[in-house]
Amino acid sequence: MITTTVGNYPKVAEGAYSTKLIGAVSKWQRKELSDDGLEGIFQELTRAVLKEQEAAGLDLLTDGQIRWEDLVTPIARRLEGFEINGLTRWFNNNVYYRRPILHREPVRRGPILADDYRFAAGCTKKPVKAILPGPYTFALLCEDRHYKALRPLVMKLAEILNAEARALAAVGAPFVQFDEPAIGFGKTDLKLALEALKVAAAGVKAKTAVYTYFGSLNGSLTALMKAPVDVIGVDVVSDSKALSALAKVKVTKELAIGCLDARNTKLESVKELQAILRAVSRRVDPKRLYVNPNCGLEFLPHTQARAKLRRLVEAVRSVAKTKTRSR
Amino acid sequence: MLLTTSVGSLPKPDYLTAARAQARRGELSAKGLRALEEQATREWIKLQEELGIDIIVDGEQYRGDMVAYFAEYLGGFKTSELVRSYGNRYYRKPIILGKVTRPKPITVDWWKFAQRLTKQPVKGMLTGPYTIMDWSFNEYYPSRRAATLAIAQVVREEAKDLERAGAQYIQVDEPAISTRPEEMDLAIEALGIVTKGLKAQTITHICYGDFKTIGPKLHRLPVDQIDLEFANRNFELLDFFKGKRFPKQIGLGVVDVHSHRTESREEVVNALKKALKVFKPEQIFVDPDCGLKTRTPKEAIEKLRVVVEGTRLMRETLLN
Repeated sequence: MITTTVGNYPKVAEGAYSTKLIGAVSKWQRKELSDDGLEGIFQELTRAVLKEQEAAGLDLLTDGQIRWEDLVTPIARRLEGFEINGLTRWFNNNVYYRRPILHREPVRRGPILADDYRFAAGCTKKPVKAILPGPYTFALLCEDRHYKALRPLVMKLAEILNAEARALAAVGAPFVQFDEPAIGFGKTDLKLALEALKVAAAGVKAKTAVYTYFGSLNGSLTALMKAPVDVIGVDVVSDSKALSALAKVKVTKELAIGCLDARNTKLESVKELQAILRAVSRRVDPKRLYVNPNCGLEFLPHTQARAKLRRLVEAVRSVAKTKTRSR
Repeated sequence: MLLTTSVGSLPKPDYLTAARAQARRGELSAKGLRALEEQATREWIKLQEELGIDIIVDGEQYRGDMVAYFAEYLGGFKTSELVRSYGNRYYRKPIILGKVTRPKPITVDWWKFAQRLTKQPVKGMLTGPYTIMDWSFNEYYPSRRAATLAIAQVVREEAKDLERAGAQYIQVDEPAISTRPEEMDLAIEALGIVTKGLKAQTITHICYGDFKTIGPKLHRLPVDQIDLEFANRNFELLDFFKGKRFPKQIGLGVVDVHSHRTESREEVVNALKKALKVFKPEQIFVDPDCGLKTRTPKEAIEKLRVVVEGTRLMRETLLN
């Protein structure tokens, strides 16, 4: 089993790497801190969260998305055609993102995340994965004043995200993940979402993944197994029925199992996690199993986020140990 | 008819913002802070009277976050390290660690203090059980439902105490109600526990996310009045109520609390004209869209002034 996180990690840590980002961003907004000054702090914090993941014993790391205000703003503001607009609720959370407005055909002028990726990968010997919004979720989170139709927008974003994914693979990302939380909400056009993923993941010289979280996949799990990526991420915390649904589906891909609640501070016991991991191991070869919290860890205060990561590794190691013994 | 009010929070004057920071750093005593909170409350009540607002609020000068404030005084809660809400905004999200209790009344002394200062009715202002649950971590109760229903009991005690003290209007805000449509029934059940048998007029303010999903259940909210944001969506929300005989009073937000610009009297009058095609005059209460605490004091006063002046013009037209 490979331990990893879904993406983001607390940007401030009162008991550890400081809360200096808050003041730095305010100063930068008032133009009292230069771009380079802010970049220095981003780098310092990125290094700190990578070290924490290493110390927790994680196998596959992320840069913690320290620079990301939300899943779409960092990409949308670097594309032509978008304007970043007002606050909108982030799915079913008391957290907000800025809704991008699309005014004309979006254009990507060059790599967006490659430099950030290179920096993060240089901070650790462990593999670091790259995260992108999935095309379907990205489209649903926008206010589209250009195409005024979902399909052309989703497919255009798929093309753009594909270029970005290829660029990330080219600078060494061994794993590129597309986040598609929107798939779990309302009436999803899953066919369109999968068609777009196929475009987004095409020719990317890295392992590719689609991660779903927050919602409920009821009924769409079988179809999701056909997603043209290597790894399917399923949140078994938000949807209490996901685990039993998983037992009925033929798992044809590698699976990433979101088994710790990253939206509540209550720390899971090793025993509860073992039960989930054992149940899933019956369906998937543990070598083809990624284990992570159900979503990004930024909903949690730092102390609890770190405790959850450690617990995750502890649970995975304990399952692996009993397995070896039983052989 | 067309009584004017505000949603709850009003901006804190600079001296109070500074004092709160000093108190956090331990440089100002609780007593010293309290004196300044009282001063700011007095100022806001006088201002609302001078503007001619019918139903007055205390302005919540002594509160920070609307959930954290109650969590601080309730038993069973602890505050967390910082978590991010959006952009560069962070807050301390309460954690439920034990059985939720109310050792003593929380807002009643403040309500009495405010009511003594004016002859106009002062609204009692509470945060609803579903919102307190949704905006807290829960390590104690086995489910979101169990936590919500437990919180409902203590909010009810507080509402009863406000009524006993003489509050004629009690508002129980549920801005989180639109977060998870599948939990709307739970929110309604919990709010019902709070308002059951109250003789005071009850109100709930909700900020809608996806109005299509919560709209059809609005009439089931167990309160006399539902207060909604209309201005920031250009009064499109009125279409939802068109042709229906909405059985409750409606709190009509006529100025946008997120913009710095003060609306004109004509804009308020036009909004009321539109609303009067959908609601009866005695059904409508006029206010800003939401709490004004994010505006500067000057902006808040100007917005309240235009609410009152526009409403007066409309009343005169209706009477003639």
